[in-house]
Amino acid sequence: MSSFALLKLEYGACVEALTEALRTEDEAAFFSAIDHIVHMREPGMFTEIRKLTGDLQKALERFSIESRLADIAENEIPDARARLTHVIRMTDEAAHRTLDLVEQSGPLAERTAREAAALIEGVAAYRNRTSEMKGFEGVVRSIDAFLPLVRSMEAFLPAARADSELIRRNLADVLMAQGYQDLTGQIIRSVMKLVEELESALTNLAKVSGDVVEHATMGESSGPGHGPAVPGVTKGDVASGQTDVDALLSGLGM
Amino acid sequence: MKFLVVDDFSTMRRIIKNLLHDLGYPNVSEADDGKTALPMLQAGNFDFLITDWNMPGMPGLDLIKAVRADNKLAKMPVLMLTAEAKREQIIEAAQAGVNGYVIKPFTAETLKEKLDKILGPSK
Repeated sequence: MSSFALLKLEYGACVEALTEALRTEDEAAFFSAIDHIVHMREPGMFTEIRKLTGDLQKALERFSIESRLADIAENEIPDARARLTHVIRMTDEAAHRTLDLVEQSGPLAERTAREAAALIEGVAAYRNRTSEMKGFEGVVRSIDAFLPLVRSMEAFLPAARADSELIRRNLADVLMAQGYQDLTGQIIRSVMKLVEELESALTNLAKVSGDVVEHATMGESSGPGHGPAVPGVTKGDVASGQTDVDALLSGLGM
Repeated sequence: MKFLVVDDFSTMRRIIKNLLHDLGYPNVSEADDGKTALPMLQAGNFDFLITDWNMPGMPGLDLIKAVRADNKLAKMPVLMLTAEAKREQIIEAAQAGVNGYVIKPFTAETLKEKLDKILGPSK
């Protein structure tokens, strides 16, 4: 078969349909026949357009992810950093406040204990001495011996009351200083939310770009340290406590 | 007995300082990382080093290595007091020459026990 005969076979029916539509003045049939011919003439074009549309859609998607990422990088990351710095400052202040109060209370409790011990000794010594004292002279001497003890007690009791009250107030302040946990917890949670969003944006970007996401394995040098072990996050063989550390070290001959 | 306490958190330094004071060691100096600590150790006559691991600048492990490499300081008792708890790290620290290893959070009893073990029973 000649190549023109092939064309006739391929397009003949369409041309006939077109002629028929013209003759009957059928507009719908006319355009349908034209579309059919165009389709047959440009088979690659439509696949191409479909592909272009897909690419455009991906590009738009990518653009929206990228602008969100840019927003996160420009505004929210510095903001998160400031919030975390604030967390460090709050925990620092609370710890120092607590330490101040503990340091202030320790000597007060010590002084009360020391003076009470001295009084106990004084009373015991008084009992020893006066047990031998007999008669009227004995009673007079025992009263004389008792007077300095009374004076010590008169000095001790108000001081002990004042010290105890101060210690009690300090303990109440220690209690209040623990409020940082709630506040810092809330800030850390908000930063965690941002990290989650960042993670999903990056994952989506990797998907849209069609890049293979490779999990980079960090070098396992422990030079600068890893920070506190976080349950469920820290990988590797972690000592469960001091007993575990001691067992490990004694195994090493320490 | 003169102590040098090295930790980047001032609160932790303060806690350790208080505990040492209670244990009868009032002579305590502080540094916030290895870089600050090393010249202090080389200049002052310290008898004992307590150091954290994870610090900006010079980490504790590097400080211990530097101490052990310095003829004058090589024999100084060193206690590592850190949140680093990986087995490989504890072994690494032992190989670097620590005399004791305490993980945070720790108790006053643990600190006393390790000091006693290194120094002999305290006063």
